[in-house]
Amino acid sequence: MSRVIIQLIINGLLAGGIYALVSIGLCLIFGVVEVINFAHGEFLMLGMYTTYWLFYFFKIDPYLSLLIVIPLSFLIGVITQRVLIQPLLDAPPLNQIFVTMGLSILLQNVALILWKATYRTIKTTYSSWFIKSGGLSISFPRLLACIVASGITVALLIFLKKTYVGKAIRAIAQDKRGATLMGINVHRMYQLTFGLGTVCVGIAGAILMPIYYAFPTVGLLFCLTAFAVVIVGGYNSLTGAFIAGFVIGLIESFSGFFISPHLQQGVYFAIVILVLLFKPSGLLGLKES
Amino acid sequence: MRVSKRKILSNRLFYPKFYLPLILIILLLVFPLLIRNPFYQDILVMTFLFAALAEAWNLTGGFAGQASLGHTAFFGIGAYTSSILYLNFGFSPWLGMLAGGGLAVLIAVVIGYPCFKLKSHFFVIATISIGEVLRRVTSYWAGLTGGGKGLLIPFKPEIGSFIFRDKTPYIYIALTLMLISILITYIIRKSRLGFYLISLRENQDAAESLGINTSRCKLIAFVISAFFTGIGGTFYAQYLLFIDPTSVFSLSFSIQLVLLSIIGGLGTIIGPIIGSFILTPLDSLLRGWFGGLTGFNFVVYAIILIIAVIYFPQGIMRWLDVGYKLVLKKLPGTKVPSKVSNVSLPINTFKITGLDRDKGSNILEVKGLHKNFKGLVAVKEVSFEVKKGEILGLIGPNGAGKTTIFNLITGFLLPDSGTVKFKGETITGLRPPHKICVKHIGRTFQLVKPFSKMTVLENVMIGAFSQSKKTTEVRERSKRILSFIGLLDHQDSLAANLTIADRKRLELGRALATHPELLLLDETMAGLNPKETEDIIELIRKIHEQGITLFIIEHVMKAIMSLSDRIVVLNYGEKINEGTPAEVSKNKKVIDAYLGEEYRA
Repeated sequence: MSRVIIQLIINGLLAGGIYALVSIGLCLIFGVVEVINFAHGEFLMLGMYTTYWLFYFFKIDPYLSLLIVIPLSFLIGVITQRVLIQPLLDAPPLNQIFVTMGLSILLQNVALILWKATYRTIKTTYSSWFIKSGGLSISFPRLLACIVASGITVALLIFLKKTYVGKAIRAIAQDKRGATLMGINVHRMYQLTFGLGTVCVGIAGAILMPIYYAFPTVGLLFCLTAFAVVIVGGYNSLTGAFIAGFVIGLIESFSGFFISPHLQQGVYFAIVILVLLFKPSGLLGLKES
Repeated sequence: MRVSKRKILSNRLFYPKFYLPLILIILLLVFPLLIRNPFYQDILVMTFLFAALAEAWNLTGGFAGQASLGHTAFFGIGAYTSSILYLNFGFSPWLGMLAGGGLAVLIAVVIGYPCFKLKSHFFVIATISIGEVLRRVTSYWAGLTGGGKGLLIPFKPEIGSFIFRDKTPYIYIALTLMLISILITYIIRKSRLGFYLISLRENQDAAESLGINTSRCKLIAFVISAFFTGIGGTFYAQYLLFIDPTSVFSLSFSIQLVLLSIIGGLGTIIGPIIGSFILTPLDSLLRGWFGGLTGFNFVVYAIILIIAVIYFPQGIMRWLDVGYKLVLKKLPGTKVPSKVSNVSLPINTFKITGLDRDKGSNILEVKGLHKNFKGLVAVKEVSFEVKKGEILGLIGPNGAGKTTIFNLITGFLLPDSGTVKFKGETITGLRPPHKICVKHIGRTFQLVKPFSKMTVLENVMIGAFSQSKKTTEVRERSKRILSFIGLLDHQDSLAANLTIADRKRLELGRALATHPELLLLDETMAGLNPKETEDIIELIRKIHEQGITLFIIEHVMKAIMSLSDRIVVLNYGEKINEGTPAEVSKNKKVIDAYLGEEYRA
């Protein structure tokens, strides 16, 4: 195998780790609350800007800023659920889509007014570190981001499997009425789920900051990618979303090199359409136990 | 004859209901002549264009309930097709417009048909993906599309090349598009298709059970919608004389159409137009006033959208409708005489005709029917026959597989093995369910599925449309059925406001309207009090007297024992007994499995 191929695999996996973290938040909300959160990308954008301003004003390292980003994201998620989604739980599902769409447009443009369309990034001491070996080069901040993202994703999966709260959330995802009868407070669990999902994407925003740019519409791109990941991974499988994150990362890196950088996303959206048409339960066909 | 027609027409002109819309249209036609400021002219063009586009979107998104976020694909296709044909081959954009619309239709068919099988969330994502793919392909395919730099159409004002020096022709073309879109929507709403679209949006299963080919209806709506959006794309290209992938293939374009429709009133004829009349000028004005604050117009938009969805999901139309009717009442002029004669129909005028009343032969034969749900056997090698003209009961404890058998026969589920024959014709696994209904097998549901936002009469009409296309004929027939089932007094109330017992009656009436020879009733008496149960038993007997064969699932033992000629007993998916009520109630297996100790004595 040529070095180029290995480099493409590495790049794909590094991007995939972030995609997995962004998507698992979306997938969690989708699976439990049954809402496609169109504002998911904007929550990523907020995470990025929070990190950016903390660094800009107080020189706080992006990874340290997680201490602030995490509770903030959680709060945003809970409030979104409480204020926007909860009144619409019995409405047709499309209304929930429309309301999150509204939130997405709102946040994008508030960001545009407040912070302008400027591309902003931050320079940390490790921003330009590279690990070089055998003709391959791995960007250190990207590797770090990928490892942290994967670590958090795995931690979330364990949390859902092992703890009482996690089990309650999964119970609701499987049978809402049954869970209510077992004494689970569905509304509170929905808020918690929305909070957790938003924390995932908020963290992703923070750790993206050293390697990517913050701008008002940055979320759209990641949100669409997350849709692709969730569809390919199977909408009711978090493990599926985790793996599919890497799969989409790889598809992106390979199609960018072999077909055209213009068609990177085109290729995986075409895959999304095919998956939806022929195997709507997801390409990986994993079942959550 | 001709004279009287003309006279009727001239009389009609004095009805407020006719002259008010006419006045409004004339005002719309005159108004643009008064505007000379290019900025406001531009607002007019965009308002009319987006009104037409939102109206087209509303056909699928509002009436059929299929919210597409991929309409930008059709818009972009329309814009690019006519522009490429014009720039490369000198094709007049007037023809290119039709070509673009045609290509949009083609894509709508290829994409739409399979996508309609998806649940609403996935339909949304699938349609978004289509728009995204097309944008990327357009950017990439620079040889044909000019790539990311876009296409510039040289300014050569000529009617044939669809380019005008003044904005006025554009205003009138956009206005024409809008009026045509309203007309088409109006015609569809009043036709059978309109009834079908609303019914499938309200409840797809019930619509299918009444013989509606839901996929086909959605596709027709989608195709008309796509064609119009494609035409709008050409207009946009000819108006701005510049297109690029990000301007015509953008998710925010699709979202815009959704927004206008919701604010105006989803699934109404005028709603999207009103939405555009309010929001499109507001958008332009906000842009003008707050030019320094890029994005401010969208902030206002988004807040309106959020508030509307949560607090006013029916949109502005809800109030406008009330206001409009008030104005109609206040206006001078003759009132329109009510076309509907209020002579009440004699009871029992409803007759099912043409039924073969030759009793005794098998109307339905089920052999070795089998269904697994992921390893769990729901129905196990079940065989039985339904004889013409009889009432066959199907009983068994909860979870015995009764409803599954109904679903297997009526095409809601695909059997793993076994055969189903109706009047000697094999109908095994015939799907989707509307194909079973047109064979004259009707069904009701255990949990009633009325079209809640339609009136009682309209509910029955949905069923009756399977027999005729003519609205007046269908209305007449439906009224007879309503009188037969005893709901004529409620014909104009919304189905949502009926009591449970009346909803069950309505479901029977709806199924009757499809002219069934065999009717499958799933727990019609569940949830009814003793008086209501008695009434419904009487109705079931009356239906049976019409010569309709009945196959009934029921838990109310007394009722099923007295109604049925024969009974089939299921337990754990297996047939354990079959016979007359007397035989069945004495069978030891049945008593053990189902009836319990008290009956054994």
